[in-house]
This record gives sequence, structure tokens and C-alpha cells, in this order.
Amino acid sequence: MLRLRGLLIQHHFLSNCSARTASSVACREYDVIVVGGGHAGTEAAAAATRIGAETLLITQKIETIGALSCNPSLGGVGKGQLVKEVDALDGLMGRAGDYAGVHFSILNRRKGPAVWGPRAQLDRGRYKEFIQLELLNMPRLTVIEGSVEGLLVSTADPEQPGKHTVTGVRLADGGNEILSSSVILTTGTFLSGSLFMGKTTSPGGRMGEPPSCSGLTHSLREILGLKLGRLKTGTPPRIVKETVDFSLAHLHLPDLRPTPFSFINTHTHCKPEEQIPCHLTYTTPGVDRVVRESLHMNSHIQQDTKGPRYCPSIESRVLRFPGRQHQVWLEPEGLNSDLLYPQGLSMTMPLEMQLRLIREIPALQRADIHTPGYGVQYDFVCPTQLFPWLQLKSIQGLFLAGQINGTTGYEEAAAQGLWAGINAGRTALSMPPLSLSRTESYIGVLIDDLVGHGVTEPYRMFTSRAEFRTSLRPDNADLRLTPKGFEEIGCVSSPRYLEAVRVRQGLSEALSALKSITMSPSRWKEKLRDACISETKSTLISGEEMLQYKDVSFDMVASAFPEILSPYLEFSERIKIEAVYRPHCEKQQREMERMREEESLSLCPDIDYFSLPVSLSDEVREILDRVRPSTLGAAMRLQGVTPAAIVHLLNYVTRTGRRSRAVAHTDCF
Amino acid sequence: MMFACCRRNTFLITHKRLRLGFRCASSASSTAEPADTIFALSSGQGRCGVAVVRVTGPAAGGALRRVAGLSCGLPAPRTALLRSIVHPQSKEVLDRGLVLWFPGPHSFTGEDIAEFHIHGGPAVISGVLQALGSLPGLRPAEAGEFTRRAFHAGKLDLTEVEGLGDLIHAETQAQRRQALRQMAGDLGHLYNGWSEQLKRCLAHVEAFIDFSEGDLIEDGVLNQVDIAVPQLQMEIEKHLCDERRGERLRSGVQVVIAGSTNAGKSSLFNILCQRPAAIVSPIAGTTRDIVETSLDIGGFPVLLSDTAGLRDTGDCVEREGVRRARQMVGLADLTLVLVDSMQLPQEPQMVSGFLSEYLKNVLPSAKDHEQGYVLILNKSDLLPKEHISMIQNVLTQTSDMAPVSILSCHSREGLDDFLTLLQDRLKTLCGDPLAGSPSLTQTRHRAHLQKCVDALNQYYEYRDTDLALAAEGLRLGLSSLGRITGKVGAEDILDVIFRDFCIGK
Repeated sequence: MLRLRGLLIQHHFLSNCSARTASSVACREYDVIVVGGGHAGTEAAAAATRIGAETLLITQKIETIGALSCNPSLGGVGKGQLVKEVDALDGLMGRAGDYAGVHFSILNRRKGPAVWGPRAQLDRGRYKEFIQLELLNMPRLTVIEGSVEGLLVSTADPEQPGKHTVTGVRLADGGNEILSSSVILTTGTFLSGSLFMGKTTSPGGRMGEPPSCSGLTHSLREILGLKLGRLKTGTPPRIVKETVDFSLAHLHLPDLRPTPFSFINTHTHCKPEEQIPCHLTYTTPGVDRVVRESLHMNSHIQQDTKGPRYCPSIESRVLRFPGRQHQVWLEPEGLNSDLLYPQGLSMTMPLEMQLRLIREIPALQRADIHTPGYGVQYDFVCPTQLFPWLQLKSIQGLFLAGQINGTTGYEEAAAQGLWAGINAGRTALSMPPLSLSRTESYIGVLIDDLVGHGVTEPYRMFTSRAEFRTSLRPDNADLRLTPKGFEEIGCVSSPRYLEAVRVRQGLSEALSALKSITMSPSRWKEKLRDACISETKSTLISGEEMLQYKDVSFDMVASAFPEILSPYLEFSERIKIEAVYRPHCEKQQREMERMREEESLSLCPDIDYFSLPVSLSDEVREILDRVRPSTLGAAMRLQGVTPAAIVHLLNYVTRTGRRSRAVAHTDCF
Repeated sequence: MMFACCRRNTFLITHKRLRLGFRCASSASSTAEPADTIFALSSGQGRCGVAVVRVTGPAAGGALRRVAGLSCGLPAPRTALLRSIVHPQSKEVLDRGLVLWFPGPHSFTGEDIAEFHIHGGPAVISGVLQALGSLPGLRPAEAGEFTRRAFHAGKLDLTEVEGLGDLIHAETQAQRRQALRQMAGDLGHLYNGWSEQLKRCLAHVEAFIDFSEGDLIEDGVLNQVDIAVPQLQMEIEKHLCDERRGERLRSGVQVVIAGSTNAGKSSLFNILCQRPAAIVSPIAGTTRDIVETSLDIGGFPVLLSDTAGLRDTGDCVEREGVRRARQMVGLADLTLVLVDSMQLPQEPQMVSGFLSEYLKNVLPSAKDHEQGYVLILNKSDLLPKEHISMIQNVLTQTSDMAPVSILSCHSREGLDDFLTLLQDRLKTLCGDPLAGSPSLTQTRHRAHLQKCVDALNQYYEYRDTDLALAAEGLRLGLSSLGRITGKVGAEDILDVIFRDFCIGK
């Protein structure tokens, strides 16, 4: 079926390209305009259309929509949770991963289901193909090629918070204007992006593509007065596969049974036996030497701009941990690709030094470089200027998502894109914006961290950022988000919703059935001969409690009580996880409720903190004015805001609450 | 308005959760499960005439009935009733006081509230707090928790909220000073040290979870945690066992007067209890059994015992008396070792040797640390003044001897100095109730330390099967410690708002 659709793609692709040129859409008006076709942009456009908004996606090249510009992989620890959540809200990423994956594995398999990291190596071509197929066939979505030169802005609606309101975008080359009440910027590394290799610098956001217009940066900084910062990242050289000696590297096989990312897929597109392996190799002292010798011709490394600590270039790894062997993963770029992606060898030295460096690694001693590695430096908008629904506080209708907010990674970008798309769509259709809580999702944690604390280095998701990690598991993302996505948000299709409801029902029945089975330990021992059950307990044990034993699986219990439990065998693994985690999750409930209550106490976003007629110190006023926390909870977390200030603030909000529209509308959350 | 909207939100949340279904099917049961019931001293800290202890929450009514012995039902709402306050386990009468019953929602917190108006001595307060703590479902309140509950129930009106800002400011300062006072001490060092260690352990586990698939983490990072966690747990457990000071305050410090026959033990006993409770005679071996009395010495509760003089004797009754005396000394928190000055060697240089021998005879070997005894040379009126000062000189030069009181029960000379010394000792044994109300903080400390120890068990339980749950154990342990050291996690936002409130206000 999918293969058949694969053939159709070409046709659609061409027809779309020819039909939707920039000039043909000029002067039209859209509900939502998305600028950028990366992971944030594609999820944003798709989510806005799912909400019901007429949406326009503007990208420099339709051909690069859905491109994986760096690593050919998806998911991992923490990031995998984001993929599952994006999928649970009916986003594209999970299904695209299932279609394009060529090597699936669950990381952290031995460390507990809450921190499992579903991950896959991807075929770049297939990933792009899937995303383009989806987008170009999506009702209510128009895709055009173009470059946005500036934003159309008018004075703000005095009834709403903000200094300006966005009314559309102006395209470069001809200056066509397209109107829209909501605009989402997902420009990635293209905002004043510069590429670095050796001592040369050139403008751009991705190698081989034209730089985006500097007009947008100008609009954001000079006209809208936003605070920008600068970050850097990098990518490794791509290596010609046939020049690699795999016999000198360790073979790394995928899981025998690939687990799909998406809750609505029962299997991946790639058959288990078609999966391809990765290889692991290590750096040598020679690599250290080349890094040191090339330092003077490596301007990217010498700059102070903050790069990701968690995905460092080989230069910074060698400088920070000299004399150590570093892992280098040789990852396939696709089923039929001639290239390899050497994860761990991101570098920005001159090309000839890059070649020298990789040849210091035994498996790569005769390897050739197809495309050199390079560094990127780019502007980001300090995300504390955003509401939790990813709209800028000072500009009505302008949303930001992805690397422009200081994050790194496809998954982080997609999660924000999805959330910005939902809210841009809702705003355009006059529905109140929504926030996700830290207590219900990693997406909520991600956004809350961004808007609450800002970033000092590219932000990446880790499971340790989520205080309610035991409850926010990859396995239950559908139960957490899909019903809400359908019933409250409106971004989930009804088949997916019905499936989630079916699963919820099944799990709940299965657990009730398990609870209804109670026996003494000795009776259990008779029933389950293979399990180690301590007979010291004299009380009765329920089937649910039995599952809390390490060696007892649901299948074992079900085979002892087939008449009661066999209908639920399809949920076997999920039931086991639920049974083990339920007592721990219950312990967290009260704390989660407390946090939700805090998040519901909203602060009017346009309070003039400097003239506020309450007793606040100048220092506190300054902090509040700078950060503009959207809830009392967020204000409390700010350093320097005293408890006394909070109560004065609460008092003020309480008195003025009747008149404040802002309180009324955020109140809906 | 804010409160109205906050209530509405609560409703929405509940509603949402019902619809979220499965995960929430489990949470629905926990919502139905009653919230914690908390208790705290609501009146000022330190000694005062009347102290008010408040209990709020669903189990408040049950607590009132059990502690005030109201088997037939709760008293009429908002009506004072005089009752004996009884420890629910030991049935010991702790005090007689007024109890009041404020059924929710017409109460300060909107929940059921029970109030106990009791006598303000530290022993009584500590006793009642511990009695409440022994009831299932009750725990000591966190700072400001009463106010937070009132806030959530919409019980604070605008003027109150207005006043609160200034109030909190003042109390933040007071509380900070108090916290500083507590935390600057050895205890603070200890707790902070544990907190740091645990933070490191957690960080290691988290790093292992989030990063080990790359090569940024050293091998064997968990081994360090496996060593550090049991060590830490053992230290805390040991600390929990050693910390008897709060209990001493409740049941009284066991003070035993011991020494050889006719040293004047019973005379000292009678002086201390200010009545002739024990028979005094010049005949050696007058006291044969233990004579006990409860006293208040400088505000500290003392259980004072007079014992038979220690000597070998053929009299079987007196032999039993000596056995009991030795047993009593073994159990004592503080032993007053009485010496008849007339028995001291004539040569002052010999005195310290004599006293060391004497102590060895009176005190069991394990007990001879400084805190455990006070040496008293009685009958100083029978010695010439010069001789006394010579003995004093010798003793001050002997460093391994505890401070020695020289007094006369007969002329009462030196008695004031002795009483000051005794009070100092009692103060150390009980903790000073004026310095940061230890009885109060200790109830909380113990609860949190115990929680920490329990949470660390979760680490072992899941170490090999589920590292996420193991890490959760460390997290819980850390947050328990954090509630003592004041470093509560950033997620506890509302706790932070109200943390600077005084407990139980």
C-alpha cells in the first residue's frame, strides 16, 4: 500500500510544485502562515490544518521539506518520549520514523520502562518522502517556495496584551505580501546564520542552500525590539561507505523485533530482517594530535558562542577530555545510500585536516570524505519572551518554534512546532490558546523550561528534566495526550482517538480483572511454577501485585487464568508496566495536582510592573518586567522575587481580576 | 475573583482527569483517598502559659476523639471542653486542657479542625505533638501549610491577603534567623552534608540514565552510588537512634544520685525536691530501695532517683538495693556521683587518683564519658577552707576529670553553683527549647529523616530491575532532606510561596 503511494508521490510532488508558485497565492489571506519547512515547520503546518485553519507553508525549497540536515536518526533517551508525544497528538514525526527507519532499537532497555528511549536510524530519502507526501496532500494546506523578507505588523489590539500585532509576511523578490492573523516562524539556523569551516565563513543556515533574508532578523530585532542571542552547532563530514573497513569496527545490530514509534502502527515499514546494522569504533591519539594541530585554523572553535555540551564537536571533546578514547558510531544514511554518518565526529577544521583526522581511525584509514563537516552559528530569540503557547508576549499572532527558540534536535523542534501550530490555528479561529502542563507531558516540560528559564546553551531534552518521569512514560503517551488532543485541543483525528479509547478501556479492564484475582502466596506458587515468589507473606496477593514481581509476566498470569485474562494479551507489556508503576505514580498524584493548581493562577501579561500601585522593590519590579511570568507559579520560581512580593502581586491580581480580560481568557486552561 | 477562578480550575482539573481515563482511573482513587491530616503548634514557640496545637484535615475528628478520650462522639462545634489529653498508645495522661472542634467547611482551613489548648511547657507540647504523630494518617505540618490550605479553600479574604505580605516579610526574617541558628550548628552541617552526598548520588544515576549510551560517562559510575547510598542510610539511621533528646524532654531526664553509703545522697535528693521525700539518718545504708520523684529543674522535666549506697554487704535486702542502684545508674541519662569529702585522702595529690577509682566503682565502664555524670564532693563544711581550695587546685589541673561540685547539703554552701551546673547539663541533654524550639523541629526532622531512610530503600529494591524507579527513590530521599535543610525542589512552587510562614498559623 505504502509502496503504491510512493509511486504517487512523484506525481503529486510535480503537480504541487507547478500549481503553487509564490505569485499565485499572493494577495490571498490565510489563517496561519508557517515560515520554514524543517521539523518544527512541518509539524506546525500539519497541526494548524488539523485544528481547521487554512494554512500556508513557505519554504525556500519544497525539495528540502522534511530533510534531516544532521544525524540520520530519530528518538533516543528523552527525545524518544517527545516523538511518542508528538505522535499521540497526531503529529507526523512518529509515523515518518516508522516509515523511514532502517535500524530500530530501544535504548536503556535494562533501566526501566520510564526511561526507555525508542530510537531508529533513518533512511533520509524515505523520511523526506513521507513528510512531503503527507504535507502536499493535506487538505487546507498550501505549500509554496519563497523567502520571507519581513513581517507585516500593525498596532496592537488594545483589548489584548502586546505592543504589536502581526498581519502577514512580505516575500523577497517582488515584495508580494500575504496576509494572515497568525504567523509561525520556524527558521531554524537560518536567522543570521553563518557557516564555518576552517578559517572561512559564509552566510547561510545549511550547506548548499541560499542564506535566508537578513530582513527577518532586522524585523525581529530592530522593529519588534526582541532580545536575540547567538548559539552554535555543527555537523560531521559524510564518509564514502565503500572506503570504510568495517572489519576494524564493532558490529552493532538492531532489535530483532523493531518497535514502531507510532501508537497507530503495529509494525514498521522496514521488515525486521531488512534492517541494517551500525558500527562502533573509537578515536586514537592521532585524532587528538590533528585536533591540536588544526586549532589555529579553526575559527568556529575559537569563538565564545555557546555550543551544545551534550552533542559536542570532536574538537571540544578532545580539548575537554584529552587522552581518552571517544566513541564514533558509523551510522548508515539509508538503505541504498553510499554514505555513512560518523556520529561523534562533528568538526569544523579545514577539509584537508578533516581527512587527516578521520584517517587516524583504523576503520577509516582509507576513507574518503563526500561532504565536509562544518559549523553553524545562528541567532535565536530569547524564549522567555514567549507565552507557554509559544506566541511572543509583545506581538499578537506571532509564534516561534524550533531552533529559533534556542533548542537543538529534531524532536525538540517538532514538539514545539506542533504546539505552536495548534495555538496559531486556535488563535486564528478565535479559540483561546492552550498550555501543556509539566505534569502531563515532556512537551510541557520543554516549553515550561524554555519560557520560564530561557537558554544559555542549545536546549536538549533529558528524562531527568521531568520531575514526574515515572508518570510521563513513553508507553502511556497516548493515554496522557490523545483523548485530550481530541476532546479539548481538536488536533487528533477520530480513528486515532477511538483507538486510544479502546486501548484505555482494555487496559483498565485488564487491571480490574487482575485485581479481582486474589490468592495466597502458596496457591500462586502452584499456579506459576517458574516464578520466584516469597511465601513469607501471609496475606492474599492480587494478580496486579503478582505482576510487580520481576519475573512474573502478564502472559504467565494469563496462562493460569486464560478465561479471564486472554482477551487482554495484546496489551501484555503495557499491563505489566502499569502494574509495576501504578503505586509510584499514585504517590506523585498529590504533588502533580499542586503544580497544576499553581499553573492555573494566571498573571495578566500586560501588567505595567513599574507603575503597579503595590509595595514591590525596584529590583523585583525589574525582574517581573523583564521575564513577565504568565502564572503566579512561574513568578515564584524566579530568582530574586520574594514571597512577600508574590503575596502583594496576588493581592493586586485579585483586586483587578474582575476587569482583566487576560485573566479571563487564560482562565480557560 | 482569584479565589473563585482558582476553585473553578480545580473543578476543571478534576473533570479533565476523569476523562483522561485510565491513568486517572488510578488517580481517581487517590483523589478519593483523603488528603493528609497535619498538625502543628500554632502558638508562639518557647515556654508560655498556654499553647495551642491545631490539627487540620479529614482525620482531625478521629484524632480529637482518641487523644481527648471522647469515645461517644465529637463535642459540639466551637465549644470549649475540658479533657484529659491522653497518649493513644501508652494511655499515659499528658495534660489536662481545653479541646475545641471546628467542623469544615466553617473553619480556618475549610477542613475539619481540632484544637488543643494545653499547658505551655516544652515537655507537654512535645508530648502532645508526639502523641498526634503516632496516629495513622497524621504528620507534622510544613511551614505555612495551614495558611496554604486556607488559601486553597478560599478562606483568606482581601484584607487578610493584603496584611499577609507584610506579615510574611517580618516572619521571613524571623524564620531565616531561626533557620540560620539551627543550620549553623553541627546538625546543620550534618544535614547539609547528607543532602550534598545524596545530590551527588542522584546526579550520578541520572547521568547514567540519560547519557550512558554515549561515552560521556565513566564506567562504573553506579558503583560509587552503590557504596555511598548504604553508608548514608546507615549514618542517618544511627543519627535517628542517637537522637533521644526530644524523648528525654517528653518523659523527663533520668537523673540518678549514686555513691557510697552515707555520702549524703538522700540529703541532696531532699534538697532538690524541696521536701523530705527520703529518710535521712547518720546510719549507713538507710536507703535500701530506689526513691523516685518527678521534678522541674530550671524548666526541664527530671525524673530523679535516690539509690542505696554502694557497698558489699551481707544483708540480703540491702544487697538487692545495691543491685537495683547499679541497674538504675546503667539506665541514667545523668548520674550525680556523690562523695563524702571526709573519705578523701589527706594528701591533696592523691585526691584525683582516689576519685578515679571511686568513679570506676560507681559507673559502669561504658558510661564514663563527660556528659554522663557530675561529681559532687559533699560535706565541704567539715573540711577546712584551705584544704578545699587545695583540692580544687589539684582537680582543675587534672584534665580528664569532669567539673566537680564541692558543696555542703548541711550548710547549703556551693549549692547554687551546683544547680547552675546541673541546669547546663540538662539543657544539653534536652536541647534548649528557647533556641529554635527543638522539640518542635525535632518531630519534623525525625519524620523527614525517617522518610529519607525509607525512600533510600527504594533504591536497593529497584537497583537491578528498574533504574528509573531506583532514581525516584533517591529523588524522594533528597526532597525529604531538602525539607529540613530548606532546599526544596523548584517544582514545589506553592510550598515556596508559603514556606516562610510560621508553622501552624
